[in-house]
Amino acid sequence: MSTVTEPSTPQPVHSSTRLPFRSAVRTVFSLEMRQRLRGKGWYWMLAIWFVVIAFIFVLGTAFLATTDNEGGILFDLVVGFVLLFGLLVAPGLSANAVNGDRAGGTLAILQVTLLTPGQLLFGKWLASWVGSLAFLVLSSPFILWALALGGVDAAEALVSLLMLAVELGVVCAIGVGVSALANRPLFSIVSTYMLVALLAVGTVIVFGLSTTLVMEERTVRSSYYTYPESSLDSMGVPDPEAEAVCQSQTYTAELPDTQYIAWILAANPFVVVADAVPYKIPDVPATVPGPGGTGSFYSPGVMETVSQGVRSAQAGPDLDVTCEESMLGRQPLPQGVPIWPLGLGLQLLLAGALLLMARRRLTMPARRLAQGTRIA
Amino acid sequence: MQAIRDIDFVAPPGEVTALIGPNGSGKTTLLLMMASLLAPDLGTIRVAGFDPVTQPAEVRSRIGWMPDTLGVWESLTAFEVLKTVGALYGMSAADSARRADELLVTVHLTEFGRQPARVLSRGQQQRLSLARALIHDPQVLLLDEPASGLDPGSRVELRSLLRSLAAAGKTVVVSSHVLSELDEIADRAVFVSRGRSVKSQTLDEAGSQARRYYVQAEPMTALAAALQSYGVRFEKRGDSRREEFLVQLGSTAEASWLLRTLVLADVVITAFAPAGGALEETYMSLDTDRL
Repeated sequence: MSTVTEPSTPQPVHSSTRLPFRSAVRTVFSLEMRQRLRGKGWYWMLAIWFVVIAFIFVLGTAFLATTDNEGGILFDLVVGFVLLFGLLVAPGLSANAVNGDRAGGTLAILQVTLLTPGQLLFGKWLASWVGSLAFLVLSSPFILWALALGGVDAAEALVSLLMLAVELGVVCAIGVGVSALANRPLFSIVSTYMLVALLAVGTVIVFGLSTTLVMEERTVRSSYYTYPESSLDSMGVPDPEAEAVCQSQTYTAELPDTQYIAWILAANPFVVVADAVPYKIPDVPATVPGPGGTGSFYSPGVMETVSQGVRSAQAGPDLDVTCEESMLGRQPLPQGVPIWPLGLGLQLLLAGALLLMARRRLTMPARRLAQGTRIA
Repeated sequence: MQAIRDIDFVAPPGEVTALIGPNGSGKTTLLLMMASLLAPDLGTIRVAGFDPVTQPAEVRSRIGWMPDTLGVWESLTAFEVLKTVGALYGMSAADSARRADELLVTVHLTEFGRQPARVLSRGQQQRLSLARALIHDPQVLLLDEPASGLDPGSRVELRSLLRSLAAAGKTVVVSSHVLSELDEIADRAVFVSRGRSVKSQTLDEAGSQARRYYVQAEPMTALAAALQSYGVRFEKRGDSRREEFLVQLGSTAEASWLLRTLVLADVVITAFAPAGGALEETYMSLDTDRL
């Protein structure tokens, strides 16, 4: 094009070229939701979800009927499963949001309107998040049932549900971001699954492998109750009158300083949910002092186990096992520094970076097109 | 891939400007640039006075773009599609609903207005796409192959719709390679080949240029003898089912002279007509690469 005369550009006369954010997002949201509600796929997924959760719940109820902490463990189980299935469902609902439209030829139609890329992405994210929250709502009968069995207080339940919703939102944001960056829906769905797997499984693997990096030779003092030599008879049976005494041994061992690498686990969705939940730490008394003493065992649910695992990783190796500790058996650890804000922060950073790149990608007019792509 | 190298044209308001060129000549890419979806590396574009690169929102509020690919939200009804797009142009719910109803009447989709768009035929989807481009009453219309897939009746209606839009002072840019249609719609034509604008002319100019006529007579031998005696060069047309001769004539005056002379010479003329539309003549004379 020749540039002999530079045409003058008039100043915009009226400001109607800007869409209010809320009404723009509402339009995109209702466009997405209408399509979802009129399709069959979403209902099928909801039905399958309900059946699977019901199956697991019934199985869990039958299995745990004898446990004293049935309500708490069942609640934990449902939360863990809803999170697991949510991580599987949310990419499916979100990761074809943008490139599905591109394949259908409707993306460019939206792009020539006054809709901005940010509004489009936000609307798509909101629609996929609400779509995945429906799965959470559908599992509420089981959550309420578990709550009715007792052992879980309101704050614990509320925070669990809130964190589940937040995690679904994070995965949806990752999915929507990837869907704008990848050209094909199949590729973006798989990529989103990979990213979710990286968070849920990858962090654990990296943590496990990293323990070798923080191995340190340490002297450990281990104490235990035993009977003095003098109180044993010739058969080695202690005199019934004898008192057990505390004895210590020291040895050296290679132990990982997990407190330095515990942060790797933070970005794990299960860790974020489990760590954020303020569960009560049960008192586990040692009933019989002495060797072979039987206390009531600490039996946490799935999510509580995850939380305890993280706390013990944060605490690092115990270099001084006292006689009291050896008596009490496995003791629940209280919360030290909460790790979930770090994890959620890392997740939001990932989702935010993807959405920013997506926004750049959707900003038109495009300077360059990827090889082999057409706008419309 | 360089789709556009050097295209220079002006589409004045109140006229229909046709972009003509073979497949892959850059018509769609040019329309994408004008629709603010693609930025040119060099050169300037002004649409309704605004630069689509630096003022895309200003341009978007003033253009109606109809892509050559049919993007349809299949589960939405035609009415919902129009209302949604209206909302995205900042129209109020009442305004866009009223306008959507009007446009459904205009493109004869009223009876399908409340049905999901997936039941629409290709031609009906094409009409819905046109209505979508018109929802916010844009000043400039960019239509990419608007007539493809339309039945003859719909084509006639498209023609009168575009003429009435131009008469209302809108700028209409139409890309097509169906030349016979553009003859009747367009006021001016820009010929595009390999990403360059090769020729730009108004339809009046196109009408007054040399063009070919086909002539049929009974018997053809008498016609051949007569043409030879006047020194008029002719060729046998090979691509037609009937036997006919093609003659190149400089103007309409020359054509009327030849017809009168042949009739007076007692040659039984059964057909005498321009071989193609005015634009087709230009198109063929440019000898562009046809893919």
